[in-house]
Amino acid sequence: MSGERARILVVDDEKVIRDSCTRILTTEGHIIKSAENGNIGLEVFREFHPDLVLVDLKMPGKSGMDVLEEIESIDPNVVQIVITGYATVSSAVDAMKRGAYDFIPKPFTPEEILLIVGRGLEKRRLLLESEALKVEHERIRRNMISLVSHELRAPLAATVQYLEVILGGMAGEIPSEAKEMIVRCDIRLQEMLELLRKWLNLATFDSPKMAEHFQDISLSDIATESIELMKSLAEEKKISLILETSKDLPPIKGSKVSLEEIFNNLISNAIKYNKAGGWVKVILYGREEEVWVEISDNGSGIDEEHLSRIFDEFYRVDGRRNAPIKGSGLGLSIVKKMVDAHGGMIDVESKFGEGTTFRIGFPKFFQRQKEG
Amino acid sequence: MEQIHLNRECLKLGKREEGGMSQKKRILIVDDDPDFAAAIQKILTSADYYVGVAGNVEDGMKAIEEEIPDLILLDVMMEKYDDGFNMCYDLKHDDRYRGIPVIIVTAVTEVTGLKFNPETDGEYLEADDYVQKPISAEALLTKVARLI
Repeated sequence: MSGERARILVVDDEKVIRDSCTRILTTEGHIIKSAENGNIGLEVFREFHPDLVLVDLKMPGKSGMDVLEEIESIDPNVVQIVITGYATVSSAVDAMKRGAYDFIPKPFTPEEILLIVGRGLEKRRLLLESEALKVEHERIRRNMISLVSHELRAPLAATVQYLEVILGGMAGEIPSEAKEMIVRCDIRLQEMLELLRKWLNLATFDSPKMAEHFQDISLSDIATESIELMKSLAEEKKISLILETSKDLPPIKGSKVSLEEIFNNLISNAIKYNKAGGWVKVILYGREEEVWVEISDNGSGIDEEHLSRIFDEFYRVDGRRNAPIKGSGLGLSIVKKMVDAHGGMIDVESKFGEGTTFRIGFPKFFQRQKEG
Repeated sequence: MEQIHLNRECLKLGKREEGGMSQKKRILIVDDDPDFAAAIQKILTSADYYVGVAGNVEDGMKAIEEEIPDLILLDVMMEKYDDGFNMCYDLKHDDRYRGIPVIIVTAVTEVTGLKFNPETDGEYLEADDYVQKPISAEALLTKVARLI
């Protein structure tokens, strides 16, 4: 920014200060606009998009401190320098605490203002550079993830697709022993695909972006669909699925696919870590500002020592390679992240050998969090 | 290249038999993964469809210009990560081709994946259906039968 044309806004009620700043800084090739009070200053700020703002602290009407804070909240990367009257160093310090980069006491010489503005513009250049690097870094990270996952998925997908053809008998008869082995190959590869899918899901999860597409969602529809999807798994393990939903359950604001992911993960866990003849119960009810979801089972339960870590990425209660039930260790961290993205909360209660209950509260009215 | 050529012959073969009693429906697969395409082709030919394969967008468009298929199975990420997107967009904005049902096939349809999300990109994409690789023979045939 130094050596280049910068855009500078001067907000001061004294005409002589505005004029002298304009004159001095124009000789450096900068583009200057000025305003005689805080309100006009903010108006000009929004149109002009300056790199640097000089603000007088003492002005009639809106105070310089308020202008400072408002500009800071609009764009924290704008460098602000306060102009203070004589012997008001304490207010200058106060201003710097609220985001000003530097201060210049009145009266000042052309050399003094040029020096301070020059330093301020250098700061601005560094801020913009670091912002651009951050954006670039995130872009590379996401592209990398997406590329790697595609390169990993594609060969798996092609292989599994061939196995589907072979197992479907479309490529001729297969001896039964070979068939058993191919079935195992298929299962192992499917597990790997699922692991990749979950990992990609976590790594590329972007909650502000998702929140942009929130819509009214009926959780009882989502629960019904999820239970329908899990029916065959439940029948296989002889588990009964129960849905209880209160009448007039209000909708929540959310993302359909993510909410499905939450229900599918929790319900399939409740089925997998259960015993023949067990049950899985999904209860939905509204209370004041929230809609609550309870997913409970009378399955194997989780030992207390594991309970605090079950939402951690790659954490598995039974991490043995030959564990009877294979999990990726990612399901619950996905659930947690997605509940958070909906502004909700989740907790878990469990007794080893007796069963587990997950309880999620979703706000009816989602307030988008501030970015950053 | 040879495979693409061979598969185009398949399409033409279908045409020659058209005068016969039964008219087999023609499906065009546009996918740059020859293994995946071959597996899908086998599933579809087993269900009595004529199937052509093109390994990129250019060959795909040529095949369509020669003979309009009854359905297209279109991969998203080929040479460029959005080849399939663009081809689908072009087809759906061309009066000659907008009526051809298009099923988008992709390995990356993640919930929040960067590249593709039916919730956010569906409007732009205008495909008739989506499937994720790999797909069970039954699910594929159901989707195809519904659109053809």
